[in-house]
Amino acid sequence: MTTYDDRASLTDLTTTAERVRRSVEGVIEGKPEVVRLSLTVLLAEGHLLIEDVPGVGKTMLAKALARSIDCSVRRIQFTPDLLPSDITGVSIFDQQRRDFEFKPGAIFAQIVIGDEINRASPKTQSALLESMEERQVTIDGHTYELPDPFMVVATQNPVEMEGTYPLPEAQRDRFMARVSIGYPSAEAELQMLDVHGGASPLDDLQPVAHAHDIVKLIDAVRTVHVAESVKRYAVELVAATRRHADLRLGASPRATLHLLRAAKASAALAGRDYALPDDVQALAVAVLAHRLLPTAQAQLNRRTAEQVVLDILQRVPVPTSGGAAASAQPVPGGPVYGRQPGARRL
Amino acid sequence: MSGRTRLALCAFAATMMTAGALLPLVETSTWLLRAAFLLAVQSGVGALARRMRLARILTVSLQTLATLLTLTVAFAREHALFGVLPGPQAVQRLAVLLTTGADDVGRYAIPAPATDGILLMLIGGVLLVGLAVDVLAVTFRAAAAAGLPLLALYSVAAGLSDGGAGWLWFVLAGCGYLLLLLAEGRDRLSRWGRVFGGASRAPGGPAAGPDGSGHALAPVRTGRRIGVVALGIALAVPAALPALDGGLLGGTGPGQGGGSGGGTISAVNPLVSLQNNLNQPENREVMTYRTNSASPEGFYLRILALDQFSGGEWRPSTRRLRDVPDRLPQPAGLGPDVAVTEIRTNISASRSYRQTYLPLPYPASEVDVRGRWRYEPEGRTLVGDDGQTTGGARYEVSSLAVEPTAAQLAASAASPPDLAREYTRVPPSLPDVVEKTAAQVTEGAADDYERAVKLQDWFTTEGGFRYDTTVTSGTGTAAIERFLKEREGFCVHFSFAMAAMARTLGIPARVAVGFTPGTAQADGSVSVGLRDAHAWPELYFEGVGWTRFEPTPSRGSTPAYTLPDVPSQDPGDPALPTDGASAAPTAAPSASESCPAQGRQPGECGASTAPGVADSAGPGTPAGTVVLWVLGSLVVLTLPLVPMFWRMRARARRLGSSKGRTAADAAARVMAAWREITDTAWDHGIAPDDSQTPRRAAARVVRLGGLEGPAAAAVHRVAGAVEQVLYAPEPGGAVAPAEDVREVREGLRSSAGRWDRLRATLAPRSAVRVIWAVSERLAELGSRWSRVVGRVRPAGRLRRPSRQRG
Repeated sequence: MTTYDDRASLTDLTTTAERVRRSVEGVIEGKPEVVRLSLTVLLAEGHLLIEDVPGVGKTMLAKALARSIDCSVRRIQFTPDLLPSDITGVSIFDQQRRDFEFKPGAIFAQIVIGDEINRASPKTQSALLESMEERQVTIDGHTYELPDPFMVVATQNPVEMEGTYPLPEAQRDRFMARVSIGYPSAEAELQMLDVHGGASPLDDLQPVAHAHDIVKLIDAVRTVHVAESVKRYAVELVAATRRHADLRLGASPRATLHLLRAAKASAALAGRDYALPDDVQALAVAVLAHRLLPTAQAQLNRRTAEQVVLDILQRVPVPTSGGAAASAQPVPGGPVYGRQPGARRL
Repeated sequence: MSGRTRLALCAFAATMMTAGALLPLVETSTWLLRAAFLLAVQSGVGALARRMRLARILTVSLQTLATLLTLTVAFAREHALFGVLPGPQAVQRLAVLLTTGADDVGRYAIPAPATDGILLMLIGGVLLVGLAVDVLAVTFRAAAAAGLPLLALYSVAAGLSDGGAGWLWFVLAGCGYLLLLLAEGRDRLSRWGRVFGGASRAPGGPAAGPDGSGHALAPVRTGRRIGVVALGIALAVPAALPALDGGLLGGTGPGQGGGSGGGTISAVNPLVSLQNNLNQPENREVMTYRTNSASPEGFYLRILALDQFSGGEWRPSTRRLRDVPDRLPQPAGLGPDVAVTEIRTNISASRSYRQTYLPLPYPASEVDVRGRWRYEPEGRTLVGDDGQTTGGARYEVSSLAVEPTAAQLAASAASPPDLAREYTRVPPSLPDVVEKTAAQVTEGAADDYERAVKLQDWFTTEGGFRYDTTVTSGTGTAAIERFLKEREGFCVHFSFAMAAMARTLGIPARVAVGFTPGTAQADGSVSVGLRDAHAWPELYFEGVGWTRFEPTPSRGSTPAYTLPDVPSQDPGDPALPTDGASAAPTAAPSASESCPAQGRQPGECGASTAPGVADSAGPGTPAGTVVLWVLGSLVVLTLPLVPMFWRMRARARRLGSSKGRTAADAAARVMAAWREITDTAWDHGIAPDDSQTPRRAAARVVRLGGLEGPAAAAVHRVAGAVEQVLYAPEPGGAVAPAEDVREVREGLRSSAGRWDRLRATLAPRSAVRVIWAVSERLAELGSRWSRVVGRVRPAGRLRRPSRQRG
């Protein structure tokens, strides 16, 4: 139930988020939806995978996001010779104290930028598994908590395949959303030439929010109401991926969780204290597509996972009952979307 | 002209040309113009509907509707709603007309008078056939099949006109059909594109018009030749084959000679029905009368005269009818010397006694009766027209009591040759025994009168005949022979035999059918019952006219003038006043009995129970039929409007769904309004998509419906409210959904075209929900039923697990 305090923090949330968004958009121009998605993932306690061709600003986005928030930031350049211990940290024997001393790795930061994540070996990539999901690192039997908030923003290049190791399914599943930046429009590119011609805009970027603020915002997002019907909708969307003929592997229950969390964050960003099916729909491709494995036949037919998700969105009916008040009394005329020609046509 | 229009014109022409075959059936021919006009309306409606590219079934429905409306206007305008719409009264009127038309068809010989009933049958039939031809040839483009209804029309005409409607009509009908085929062939060819006319064209000239229809095309010409040759063969071959009677060119056929034309009557074989009446267990009253006749025992009431003798039975000839004159003409052959007194009689027929001939004393001179009656002068009978029957009739008759003396009869001159020829005709198949017996019985008689009296005496007394109403009637020429041999029978046999024998003796004779005088009541009236039904011979004597004889023993009264020893002025002591009648009547008359049958058509009496049931309902069509017709037409008319009515009801329910003030009520209102908006949009062509969220659905309605300003805002407002209701923890925000819905509806209507608006109102797409609801209900019932069955029948459940496991 929404309380007065929640509402107040929701207002804070929108204003803070707006500040961060403007700050990032000062660097990444013409891509508001990408920026918004990044923020959504941040507020939903997820990790972001930025996948795109080189040079479109993947790293720039990650850095801009990190710099806009006053928090600890680490950057890991994934290379083939990167070791897991480089990421998680290592215990070194301190001869003076005659004890093992833990040297934290690059993962111990509030925002971790993993650049070109697919260039590291799967062994190294796997080092991220525990930290990303459980927000902790276990070395030599010792478990070290990661700071709060904690977000991994990884980039990868889908085109260049030589010397790369595609992320394993388990790893991909831990990213809440995958986003592609895409090429900027001609105007945006022109403007970029002017702005980036002199100095890097990142240099001028000042933090606009503190890590504490972000933690409070994340708490506020948790209070966003999700109607039973919306939850069911998310479940049905995910379930549909498991049944779809074009998919070898559907989305996991974690995907459902991520989808709902992202939807909550999206609703909070829009200033609402309740999530809508619209939020779920808007995030479905970003949250689900990178977890899906198309069948060989679908690949031959050039059906991408994104298309499959869009297809599912057009097939699964939006729930129109189960609201707090709507369910109290039957309404004359039957359900709105009981059986519709549009749904059958698709 | 487009191919379809030409085809429609040809279909019209073909129907009209075939309808020409119906012309000889009726006296007048102006009805064909009416039919042509109505058919043109029907075809025009069809052409318009096709031009608007309506669904075929819709086209046919529209044409049917147009036909119904035009028929209503043409035949039942005064009974129609607003002069056009076929309400219950109009349908009843049409049904009555059809029934009387069917009666008239049975009653009148060809050519029949153009009564309203017959006209409705003719024009309605032509329209029906026209509709079938138009639907087949134009709407469904199967011109060849359209030959079937045309053939049916021609066959009806040919069949009714007794063996051939004349070759001219056949050629016309054939030409019409060929025309239709050619038009269709041409249309089909032209749709292939440009067709080359062939090499026979003048060099340099265009082979065909740019649209392929400008000139006669070679294939069309070939088709034309084939058609002409086929028609020629059809005409020529039957003429050449001796086995096929004459063929179409073989003269006019027997049908032409039947009547001398115009408003004639035919039918009635009273033999069987009379016997039925005589064998009734109760003597049901058919009429009562009061008369000032001096000799009530001779007061026979006559229905009709049977004047055609086929050897086996007597029938009435087909004769011309005319309107009832104020005073009926002088009876044929009645001379001035014969003593005549005029008597007046008031007759009141029972309501249950319904037949088409008015019982009259012979010869009536003046009849004062209400209703549509027509007069047949030869038999001096009155015939009901347009469904008129005697049921409940009250009328006053002046008639002549002709009292010739035996001497006058004996002195009668020779009959006029025409009359003598007609009324002494006996078929060659008549057994010789009849003539021989007649000659034997009348041996030694000096004149016709004596012969007649001897015949009568022979039947009544000397011949040893026995009156028995249970004798098998029998038909055919053998019947009379058997009667003469076995000497058992009832009035029909006696009268038939005597009339036949009189004819063989050269005395003009016919058989009259009617009633014996009946039973005098205490109040001075006379009651006539069914058992008084009777038949008697009438013999013609020049100077006296048609004279009644009474050969049936123990029935009726022997006329005084047939008793030569007694002067006619004497009261006459044979004193058999009302033999049969006085013996019988005991039970009270029952009004439910009907179809007394003497004067009825054979077909009508065949099902004597059916009219009996309907009698109490009044004249005309049985009430059940009328109700069915009315209900049927109502269903046909309202069925297409059911979606509209359902939609209106749904809208009213949704917009007034609840007036409560609780949050749940408000939510219900919002949801109902949203439903109404999506359905209204659907009616205007924006099909709902259940994968769309309310927000997106609203945007889609605004985009596709071309909504602007307040209407667009209203859609978004309601969608927002729906979001709150469905997904928010607490629905908030005050909206007035009903007003918003109205706003949206107005917006959608104003941005839609006229046709779309009409369709959204009359045939709303969202009405398909009714079908869905019904199918869901059925499925639910089915599953519930199967559950019940499964519970009741363990065997059924035992079989299931395998499927469940599978």
